[in-house]
Amino acid sequence: MTFTLQLIFAGVCVGATYALIAIGLTLTFWSTRTMNFGQGSLLMVAAVAATTLMSAKLSAYAAVPIALLLSTVLMILVERIAIRPLARLGGSMGWVVATLGFGLLLQGIVARFFGSQAIMFPSLVFGPLDFVTIAGIRVSSQYLTVLACCIGLMCVMEIFIRRTRWGRAVRAVAHDAEAAAVAGVPVKRVVVASFAASGALAGLAGILVSQITGTVEPQFGFNLVILGFVAAVFGGMGSIAGALIGGIALGVAEKLAGGFVSTAFGDAMAFAILMAVLAIRPQGLFGRREILKV
Amino acid sequence: MNPAREALARVADARVALVLVVVLGVAAEFASASSIQLWSFVLVNMLAAQSINILTGIAGQISLGHAGFMSIGAYGSALAMIKLGLPLPLSVPLSTACSAIVGWALSFAVGRVREFYLAMMTLGFGMILYELVREWSSLTGGVAGLSAIPSAALASLSAFGVKLTPARYFQLMLAVCALVIWLLRNFIKSPYGRAFFAIQTSEVAAGSMGIPRAATKRLAYTLSAALMGLAGAFYAHLVGYLGPESFDLNRSVEALVMAIIGGLGTLVGPLLGSLLFTYLPERLQLFAEYQFIVYGALLLLSFILLPRGLAGLFLPRPRYYAATQVTGGAKSEPAAPSSDSEKLLQIDGVSIAFLGLKALDGVSMDVKAGHLLGLIGPNGSGKSTLVNLICGLYRPTGGRILFDGSRVDGLADHRVARLGVIRTFQDPRLIRAFTVRENVLLGAHRLYSSNPASFAFRWRGAMAQEGRFLGEADRVIAQVGLAHVADTPVHELTYGDQRMTELARAVLARPRLVLLDEPAAGLSEAETQRLEAVLKSLKDSGATVVLIDHHMEFLRGLVDEVVVLDSGKAIYRGPMAAMYQDEKVVEAYLGSSVEEAEPAKRSIDA
Amino acid sequence: MLECRDLVVRYGAIEALHGCNLSVAEGTTTAVLGANGAGKSSLMKALAGVVQPASGRVLVDGQDVTGLPAHKRARLGISLALEGRRLFHSMTVQENLQLAWEFRRSGGDARKGMDKAFESFPVLASRKGVAAGLLSGGQQQMLILSCALICEPRYLLLDEPSLGLAPAIVQQIFRVIEQAAAGSRTAVLLSEQVVAQALRVSDFAFVLQRGTVVRHGRAEEFARDPALSAAYLS
Repeated sequence: MTFTLQLIFAGVCVGATYALIAIGLTLTFWSTRTMNFGQGSLLMVAAVAATTLMSAKLSAYAAVPIALLLSTVLMILVERIAIRPLARLGGSMGWVVATLGFGLLLQGIVARFFGSQAIMFPSLVFGPLDFVTIAGIRVSSQYLTVLACCIGLMCVMEIFIRRTRWGRAVRAVAHDAEAAAVAGVPVKRVVVASFAASGALAGLAGILVSQITGTVEPQFGFNLVILGFVAAVFGGMGSIAGALIGGIALGVAEKLAGGFVSTAFGDAMAFAILMAVLAIRPQGLFGRREILKV
Repeated sequence: MNPAREALARVADARVALVLVVVLGVAAEFASASSIQLWSFVLVNMLAAQSINILTGIAGQISLGHAGFMSIGAYGSALAMIKLGLPLPLSVPLSTACSAIVGWALSFAVGRVREFYLAMMTLGFGMILYELVREWSSLTGGVAGLSAIPSAALASLSAFGVKLTPARYFQLMLAVCALVIWLLRNFIKSPYGRAFFAIQTSEVAAGSMGIPRAATKRLAYTLSAALMGLAGAFYAHLVGYLGPESFDLNRSVEALVMAIIGGLGTLVGPLLGSLLFTYLPERLQLFAEYQFIVYGALLLLSFILLPRGLAGLFLPRPRYYAATQVTGGAKSEPAAPSSDSEKLLQIDGVSIAFLGLKALDGVSMDVKAGHLLGLIGPNGSGKSTLVNLICGLYRPTGGRILFDGSRVDGLADHRVARLGVIRTFQDPRLIRAFTVRENVLLGAHRLYSSNPASFAFRWRGAMAQEGRFLGEADRVIAQVGLAHVADTPVHELTYGDQRMTELARAVLARPRLVLLDEPAAGLSEAETQRLEAVLKSLKDSGATVVLIDHHMEFLRGLVDEVVVLDSGKAIYRGPMAAMYQDEKVVEAYLGSSVEEAEPAKRSIDA
Repeated sequence: MLECRDLVVRYGAIEALHGCNLSVAEGTTTAVLGANGAGKSSLMKALAGVVQPASGRVLVDGQDVTGLPAHKRARLGISLALEGRRLFHSMTVQENLQLAWEFRRSGGDARKGMDKAFESFPVLASRKGVAAGLLSGGQQQMLILSCALICEPRYLLLDEPSLGLAPAIVQQIFRVIEQAAAGSRTAVLLSEQVVAQALRVSDFAFVLQRGTVVRHGRAEEFARDPALSAAYLS
């Protein structure tokens, strides 16, 4: 029983990070109907940057923000190089391949200049063995911190979207960019800002996940992005609450499957969930059905 | 186009290619071992790139995890040989078939999804298969891999009782590849290949010609998966060892790069791409070190800098119809209604609502066979919606639609098209890269009766059909006045010519009922006259026409009667002349009576 | 004065406007008439900055604003209500009005503008917190009009405001347009397919056909001209 509960708890925490990734992906989907297929490399770059800076004796309080700044800037670059010139082309193929290419480029550069071995990610707040006891179960403090960060961030985002001027602007651009422009919303600025936010979220997710797994290597982001995508689709593209629920559900399913069957089964679970959602209810839990105008 | 280039293309087509293949086969006897290995890898990579080309370049479906199919083919054939003791001529087709089946199954899942969702799913597919191979170590050897596979490299392979040295294996692969490419070539030049391009450009337009989108995509996936599986099987028996890293994301990326840089949509493109990217890592050590940085950069920039790849840069565009005898082409027989009733189209109390708003409210009307009906009404009155309902794009929430006595509401659009209901769109939906002739040929899709295989093998019946339709297409193209641009890609044509191309496509389909959505919009005087002539000849050949338009002058000379829609209701039905007196019509267009209108005076502040 | 000179708008191969000349003076109401496809929407969008013309100029008070993006023109006082009832469906009535205010006016309170909107259209007041997508067609058009008016724009551009609406609601809407125009310096430019209502509230009219202005003059000339209906319906 304890084993199951621990798996569930681990799943919830890991799922919260998937949710973070999911929101990063949907931010750009909102404003441009595109997604960064190389998002995984941004997760990785931030984690690698933080690790490198910290091993160069920089304090975590400086290293982490610098790493996040890096992933933010890179994402703005993605919008400028891979999305803007190609979204016009019509059809998805252009920007899907271009963003994938960007991700591979980053991954290749990191592998070439930092090596492709896995490196240890230093503990930030708590050590890997610290724990608290809740209801008789030993719960890792690191996991708990990660969970708290994710949920806190999501609450902040939800408030931002629902109650602030710029949150309204984002929703307007997501719904109808032309109508938003006519209402005075500076659409281009909103788009770039959404990409920047997406980059920052990706970087944060990368650091948080590395905290849990303990290591970083050039290719670790790619798998995560797929999981983040599944969480986004499951919860409904564009819904923050949906992303959280989707991520947690996915994380729990993955951990349970991984704990009782095998890790590969856990990954297959994500894929199966994706297929099921797309087949049964493509708009996800909280999403809206899109009508095809002929 | 440069006549020298044109000549080069024609000659380079079948005969010279065959000679080259034979020369290469013979050269293998004398070449060095490293050369043979390199050429063998080129063949494997070419198959992989072709696989991507079929799916992505031609059918327009993205796949980022294609290496998964390769691993099915590779492990399948290796295991079939090791565990089941099957010989090469059996294990390879078997594993290819397995891969094809998985592709076919996958296509069901992906068929309903938007494009980039699809891309994510394929990424997931590749990842799943990679994990599967890694974890199922009892079958695949897991991380340690599968070794001692009967192969040319280890000189442990034989087929048909003959020991396969690397040279012999290369010759075998060469022969099989040559056959596969020949079949692919014939397929691409067939109506089914053209259907793939149609699906890529616009699924809605494809459906309007009778092309079933789901079945077409399934075919594309199956073919593509088969090709990739074949590549995998050949690879397995080339190197003699398989590990999970053989088919990871990098492998999928390599195939993508070769296909994209080589040139999507052509047969030569994947060959160029595989040649370039097999030789470079081998010959250029520097390249090998920075390989994935280069691939990443290439994928990032290729669509901006080199949208049609190397093939688009150096070679003339291929022809997308079979090289066959063009025959006279029968004049289309007058389409007679099969049932007794005069009414070809019956619309019975049809309603449809979008998001709670009623676009059509209990519309009833019928169209007699052989008549030309004008459908008019103010913007937003529901005219296009009605046409979309008739041709099967939407399903009515109430009422029924009968064509030739049987119900068609609820049928998929391609099925309605197959019955002979053809439509055009407000904005011409053509395949931009195709010529006028190739676009027009698409119209005949519903009339071809041969299956894809008969086109692939160039059987007589299929070729005769193609010849007949080529002839008929020539006639129709001349009829709409486009004979002088018949072989020009449509994106180079004027708007008016593009519209006429779409019209010609509709005519070639030998429609029984044609629905035209604002066909005269944007046409010059001369083009409008030609349009009138074509419509009259359609009527003469027995077709029934429903015309949405706003130009009253244009309609006056053509229509037998009109139906006026306003706010989703049919408010008038009858001859056009009497329409102007009908008070409901006047109100719909002018508001209340014009004489009563008194403009309000506003004080204009200084 | 809002004007366009020799405006050419192209969408790919299609030329929607070939050399359009039009002007709207402050304090006047002008109708743009024409059949479907004549170019009315393209004209509106080009004036508001939503589409960039291939050539030609748009001037506000003599200043060339052709290169200015839509959101900046909105701040200059150009308020366009797009054709097709384009609202932010997932936001409430109140949020739509709030958004219409806050990016065109820096600071200040949207409440005054909102109260005015609720006065003109009491039914909106009762549905303040309802998502815009759930309103009826007429209510949505009322909301759109209110959003366009909330900042007291200098130039109010309305693209087919009566599209798909019942006659009674159309009356209501045009009454509000008249009220908004009267006693203020707002210039109104409205495009319509249904001629009578538009002429009734306008001082001037322009007729567009296949992308150019073929007739223009005072609205009353058009109202008394039976040839207009013939010209218009053909």
